[in-house]
Formats: sequence, C-alpha cells, structure tokens
Amino acid sequence: MREFQLFCIAAVFLVSGPAFSETITLGASVQITGPLANTGRYYRDGYEFAIEKINKKGGIRAGNVNYKLALKLLDNQSDVNLSVRQYVQLLTEDKVNFLLGPYASNFALATSSVSEKYQVPMIQGGGASDQIFSRGYKYIFGTLPVASEYFSSNIAAMDTLKPKPEKVALLFADDAFDVSVADGTRNILTKSGFKLVLDKRYASNSSDFNSLLSLIKDSQPDAILVAGHETEVLNFIRQAKSLNVSPKFYSFTVGVPTEDFRKALGKDGDYAFGMTSWLPSAALKDEYFGNGEAFAKEYADRFGYDPDYHAASAVADVEAFAKAIEAAGTLDPGKVRDAIAHVSFDSLYGRIQFSAAGQISLPQIMIQVQNGKLVPIYGQKGLINSPLYPMPSWDHR
Amino acid sequence: MKLLIRWSVLAAALALLIVLPWVAPATLVQFGISTLMLATLAQSWSIIGGYTGYASFGGSVFYGLGSYGTAIAMIEYHLPFGVGLILGALVAVIFAVLVGLPVLRLRGHYFAIATLALAQVVPAIVSNLEIAGRNIGLILPLLKNDALFYEAALGLLVATTISIWYISRSRFGFGLMAIRENEDAAAAMGINTTLYKTLAFAIAGFFSAMSGGIHAYWITFIEPGGEFDIGLNVKMIIMAVFGGPGSVLGPIAGAFLLSGISEILSFKISNVASLFFGFVIVIAVVLMPHGLADLWHRYKKLGLRYFSENIRENRV
Amino acid sequence: MVLLWQVLANGILLGGLYALMALGLALVWGVLNIVNLAHGAFIMLGAYVCYYLFALVHVDPFLALPAVMVVLFVLGYTLQRHVLNLIIRAPMFNTLLVTFGFEVVLTNLAQMIFSADFRTVNPGYAGANFNLLGATIPLARILAFTTGLSLTAGLWFFLLKARLGRAIRATAQNLIAARLYGVETRTIYAITFGLGAALAGAAGDLYGLVSQINPYIGGSLTAKSFAICIIGGLQNPLGVVVGGIFLGIVESLTALYLGPTYTDVASFGILVLVLVLRPTGLLGRTA
Repeated sequence: MREFQLFCIAAVFLVSGPAFSETITLGASVQITGPLANTGRYYRDGYEFAIEKINKKGGIRAGNVNYKLALKLLDNQSDVNLSVRQYVQLLTEDKVNFLLGPYASNFALATSSVSEKYQVPMIQGGGASDQIFSRGYKYIFGTLPVASEYFSSNIAAMDTLKPKPEKVALLFADDAFDVSVADGTRNILTKSGFKLVLDKRYASNSSDFNSLLSLIKDSQPDAILVAGHETEVLNFIRQAKSLNVSPKFYSFTVGVPTEDFRKALGKDGDYAFGMTSWLPSAALKDEYFGNGEAFAKEYADRFGYDPDYHAASAVADVEAFAKAIEAAGTLDPGKVRDAIAHVSFDSLYGRIQFSAAGQISLPQIMIQVQNGKLVPIYGQKGLINSPLYPMPSWDHR
Repeated sequence: MKLLIRWSVLAAALALLIVLPWVAPATLVQFGISTLMLATLAQSWSIIGGYTGYASFGGSVFYGLGSYGTAIAMIEYHLPFGVGLILGALVAVIFAVLVGLPVLRLRGHYFAIATLALAQVVPAIVSNLEIAGRNIGLILPLLKNDALFYEAALGLLVATTISIWYISRSRFGFGLMAIRENEDAAAAMGINTTLYKTLAFAIAGFFSAMSGGIHAYWITFIEPGGEFDIGLNVKMIIMAVFGGPGSVLGPIAGAFLLSGISEILSFKISNVASLFFGFVIVIAVVLMPHGLADLWHRYKKLGLRYFSENIRENRV
Repeated sequence: MVLLWQVLANGILLGGLYALMALGLALVWGVLNIVNLAHGAFIMLGAYVCYYLFALVHVDPFLALPAVMVVLFVLGYTLQRHVLNLIIRAPMFNTLLVTFGFEVVLTNLAQMIFSADFRTVNPGYAGANFNLLGATIPLARILAFTTGLSLTAGLWFFLLKARLGRAIRATAQNLIAARLYGVETRTIYAITFGLGAALAGAAGDLYGLVSQINPYIGGSLTAKSFAICIIGGLQNPLGVVVGGIFLGIVESLTALYLGPTYTDVASFGILVLVLVLRPTGLLGRTA
C-alpha cells in the first residue's frame, strides 16, 4: 500500500512536468463583423499569429517563471459602445492580464478610457489620431505613427519630381484620424512651398465624390492628396475615371498597401501613390519570425491573404508586451506599464519604442502601384525606386 | 392582499437593484448601467408612442442632445455633472417643443418618417459644429465610479417610471390615451390635443436626454455616430413593444429581457449574435405583437393557442 | 459656369439612380402600406447577385438585370407570403419592426456568406465617358439613368394596363371589393412585395457599377429611398422620379456651395420641411 502511495506521488510529479507553465492572457475586442470587419481581421490574425510564434519559441520568462501567452478575443461588431463594455468584461470577468487594442482611432479613444480607469496597460496598433495621446493618459500606447506626419515622405518626394507639381488639392474625411492628417499635411505643404488650391473636408462614409471631383476639375491641381477610408478612396478613384479627372499625381492615406483594395481596382489602381509604415522587408529582423519578408510569406500561407501594416502593427503590439513583461520581471500592471514606456528593440515592424505620450515614431515610406505591384518609392534615406510620373490621362493608359 | 404582494415584490426588486454595485461583479454593474439607460429610453418612448400613439423614431435625437449638452457644459464651461445633466435635458426639451409643434401635426407613418428624418438631420448638423468637436467628438474628464453612474441611471429610471405611473392615473394621461384611440373625437371633446401631444413629446425628450447625459460622462468619449445612433430608436421601440406599450412596468421588462439576450449573445457567440437578435425580433413580433404584459396575462388562459390567436388576428 | 453645369448633370444622373432605388419602396408602401426597412438590404443583395454573375460567369450587369430581378422577386415573394402576411393587419410599427429584423438578418447573412471585403463590378466600359456641352458624362451613369426611367415607365404601364397590375391597384384601393371580384389577396400581396424587391435588386445591380459594394450599404440607402418617396409623393411612379432627381440635384449643389459635409443636412432637412409643409410630396394631391 505504501509503495502504491509513493508511486502515485511520484507519478503526479512526473506528469506535471518540471516547469509549471503559467499563462498570461491578453484580451482584445476587435471588429470581426460589422462595417469595419474588413480591416479588423488583420488585427485578429496578427494577434493570434504573434502569440502562436512566441509560444512556439518557449513563451516568456519573467521572474523565474515560464509563461505561455493566451488570447481572449471578442467581436465588438464594429460598435464602439459594445467594445468599451467588452474591455471591462475582459478585465473584470475574464481577468485578462493586459489589453490589446481595437482598430480605428475612435475605438482607441473610447476604449483607452477603460485601460486608464482600471490602470492596466493597453497597446493598440489601430489608432493614430492626435487626441488619443494628448489626454495625459498613462496606460495607452500605440504602434501606428503620428497622423500629422503621414504625408511627409510623399511631399518630400514631390519636391524632387520633374516637372514639380505646384498646385495641390487636399481632401480629407471628417473623422479624428483624417483631420489630424490634414492638419499636419497643410503645415508641411505650406512649409515646402506648395500652393494649396483646394482644401475640402467631406463626410466619412460618403459614396459620391462627383461634386468634389467637379471642383477638382475646375481648379486644375497638379497633385491631389486624399486622407480617408478605403471605401471612400475606392469610390474616389473609380469616379475620377468616369469623370475623366486625372492629375499628374495623386496619393492616398489608405488602400494602396492593401491587397484586396488593389485587386478590386484592377488596372485602375495603377499609378496611385500611398504610404505605409511597413513593408515586408528582409532587412527588418525579428526574434520570433526571422524577418519581415519571412513573416509576410508565412502569414499569407496561413491566412490566405497578404498582410499589410495593420497586421504588422498588431504583431508589434504583442511583441512589445512580451519584451516589457520580461523586462519588468513581474505581471504587476503598473510595473509592466513602466517597462513598456522604456522598451526599445527591433522587430519585423521596425524599431519599437514609444514617446513620452505613448506613441511610436516610424517614418512613412511612400509607395506606388506599378502594373498591379506595390513598389516602394521614397523613404527616410531618399529615393528607393523611380516613380511613374506624371500619371497619364485615363484614355491614354 | 394581492396589491400588498405586488408592492412588496416591487420594493424587494428595487432594494436588490439598489445594492447591486456592492455585491455584484463589475461586468454585471456595467450591464446594469447600460440596461437601465435603455429601460429609461423605452419608458420615454412609451409616453409618446405607447400612451399617445405617436410612434416616434426620434428618441435618439434627445438622447444625443442630452449627451452633447452635458459634455459641452462640462468641457467648455466647466460646470459640474449634475448641472450639465439639467442643461442637456433643457436643450432637449426646448428642441422638443420647437420641433414638436410642426411635426406633431403629422399622423401615422408620416410622423414616424419625420422623426426618422430628424434622427438623420440632427447628427449631421452636430457633426458640423465646432463646439461639438465636429465629427471627431468630445473628450470628457475621466471618472472611475461605476457605482455612481449605476445609481444615477437607476434613479433616473425610477423617476421616469413614477412619472409614467402618475401620468397613467391623471387626467393628462387619459387625454393622451384618448388621443391615441381617436384624436379627432378627443379634440371634439375639448382636449387641447396640441398641448397634450407636445407636452408628452417634451417629457419623453427630457428623460431620454438625461439618460444620454449619464452615458456621456460614463463613456468619456462621445461622437455623433455613437450618441445619435439610429439603431437606438429601434431598440427603444422593440423593448417597449415587447414589454407591452401603455403599461407602467412593461417597457422595463422588455428592456431587461432583450438586453440580457443581446448581451449574452454578444459575449458567448460573438459573431452570430446580431443574426440571432434579428431572428428573435421577427419571431417575437409575429408571435407576440402585444408584448410580454399581454403574454403574461393571457397565456394562462389560452396556452399555446395564444400564439395562433395572435397570428389569426393579424394575418391577411 | 461649366462647373455648375457639370454639378447639375452629376445631380440629375445620380437622381435617376436614386429614383430607381426608391421605386420598389414606393410600390410596396403605396399598395401594401408596408414601410419596408429592409429595402436597402434588397438593393445590397441585388448588387451581390450582379457581382457574382459578373465575376464568375462574366455576365454584363445590364444583361444580368432579368436574372437579378427574378432572384430578388423570389426572395421578396417568400418573405411576404410566409412572414409579412402574418402581421399585415397589426399596428403599423409591427411591420416596421419585422422588416427591421429582416434587415439585420439579411445584412449579417451577407457578411457571413460574402465576407466584408468590398467588391466592385468593373466591366470594360465602367470608366467610359463623353463630353456634353462641356460637362463629362460618365457612360455607366447615363445608362443607369435610362434604365431607371424605363423601369419606372414600365411599372407605370404595368399598373395601369396589365391585368395583374390592375388587380394590384384594386387590392390597394378597396380590399373587400377586390376580393369579391375574385382577387386572391395573399398572392397579390406576395407578388407586390416581390415586385418591390425585384426593383430594388435592379437598382442594386446598377449601383455596383458606380460605387463599391459591401454588406453594410443597405441602411443609408433605405434612408435615402424614404426621403425620395416622401419628397416626390407616393401617388404615382413619376413622383419617385421627380423626388429622386430633385434629391440628386440638391445633394450635388449642397456639396458644391455649402461643403461636402452638409449633404445629409440638406437631404434630410428638406425631407422634414416637405413633411411639415406638404406631406403629400412635391407631386401629390391630397388623398
């Protein structure tokens, strides 16, 4: 009998394994259904993929304990109010350790109040508007770069084009992010000596741009800059074609880096310029994925579509938590928060490091669609590839 | 005796609700705040839609006005929360009177469409106003005190319900019901229908606006799309109709039940939650068009035939 | 001056498409007294049917019209026959709630089946345009405009002359008398709703040519269609055309002179004004 008892005790120890593996749960409320689902899925897939990879490499080690990461993801149905309630649920009922953010600036604005109220850090990769980081909140961090700088590489490139565009039209949607972009862009344009001939704000979710396009035709700008949402940019380009509006240069804050956007436009997407804070480059080394290019390939194989900066940003959020928790050596939210504020490491997304206000600083690379392919044109160090400029008119393509 | 039992049950339920924030988990308190606000909205709708018979789709307008009024008062003029609430409600009441006078002259579908149009126009206007932060929205000061918001919402619901109870027994209330049954006859009998209708509209607006004001401070960030959400109108109506329009407690029951179903669906089976909710609405309206109150009373007598009776009564 | 003419032309062409969108809603509202909150969802589904026919079988959107209309007719007929007919004599907002329920179900099903990716229908001539007195007229829009007008005219003649059309009108005017004449009400109601859905589907088919499609376009299209029906008046199909074109012009001019963030203020503001000052619409007579 005694031998049997000893045997049981020994068996228990053998079966449980030498390193009791604990779990750190990251909670997120993301747009899986609803009008924003099309971009929300990049975050769901990015978060899942990053956590998987980190766990495969042994997880995280903090304060002599090995941890595995787990994800608790809820669908907020593209409803901001529901998202807020879900974050409270994640914290109080599901008892997650830390928070990952939703997509879109207005979601980040609303839900970061939860992280601030409960004093649990949230890292989000989906919102870039100024308001998120100007409230003096301590528990919100963001991996999308500053909105007002979005067009800087484009404008720097415009300076080098021949013939240099002189008259510029600026169009922007009236949501937090795009207004921030427009405010910043206006400054950069005037400083660089361009003439702003049209400066128009339009309602988010507009589907009809004919009036704006007619105004554009009338003022004959050389370049058009648009800060808006993917569906709006899609409609804009199609309607520009049907109204025969074709400036020498046009650039958009969204859409161009995304695969299904380019597919939806087909040949009409050629010559469009845009920007991205991330390209799947082998030069971006990463501890868990190898490098940016390897990540992109694996992601496409796994999920069936190419990743863009949204997905990379999501991965960066998870990696930032991993590094911060390891640096802090504890799961205490306050200490991890301080650790996040001081992280500095390279990843497939670029250098992860947050400003005092909590926002990352990454340069935007100017890109162009050339024959259906995405080509980087202008970056921090200047010209990368030649742009196709000026854009030929629609009937000459 | 029966009345005594009824009142004690109500009192017990109220006592339970009051102590909830200190005994229940945070998620339940959250759910409570959200549901109490919706219940207030359902009750407000009941005043103009249930008692007066004017199906308004404009509840979201008052909710949003209250929300923005409170926010602007607190942000621009640094007024305390309570004052902000009253100001927001005041804005809504003035709006209700000014707009109600012309719009309440319409009947039936036309009134509904007019309020629906208002529900579109007002947020469009607000999203162009600088003081309201245009389409970006406004950021309110942060206050972590769910218990405060919960009790405020509960207090508001109690106030609204007591008002309805009082109205339903008053001459004003009978006047409203007379207008619902036959407006021309009511006018012929000497009821000042314009005054009564506008008053009902304003009272409904008052309570909806207060609800919006609480929501604004609770959620700390408001934008036109979220505060003037048109879906709120349908939610209010469904909850009131589901519970039993024209009854004092019906809309509350409807609100709690439907909110509960919706919240559980959202948390357990996230991505088909909306779909199920749609089915629930269709089935509920077909099988029990008179609401829960009626179901409660007549199911005992009729059993399952209750449902087929409803269908027979309303089919082609 | 050219700018003004261009913007006016834009408005008129947009209006033609709007009119087609509102046509189905007006029919169902005028005849069955059903205010269909799922109308936009029908438009959305029509757009998707057209998209899949185009993407998978390369059928041109205009040639796909009959197929799209048949599919939507069947859907509308089924919904009316088996669900709406059950509540048709209930108070008005019951139909509002049920059709709202339809909208939720159809939108969510569309999202689950078609995914939220946006689609475009891009036949070769999608960007073609020609010059008319200085304004650029997109070919797709003017074709949509003429199709819209033809369908409206077709509906008018159908209601006026065809046996079935007259049966529908009879049922709307006097149910008891119509029954006495042998009209089978349940079927007539179902056919009417089916027709309304078919017309919405046709609008959706053409919508895909000028704008992108996703499962969530229904809501705002329903709201617009309401506005057009009220502004134009429900008395006859011509009202919808007038309403649509009027709204299209108002939106275009507002975007030009007030700013593109004021279009909703203008369209729905006018709706409120029309309701308050002239509820029967621009064309209506007092019933």
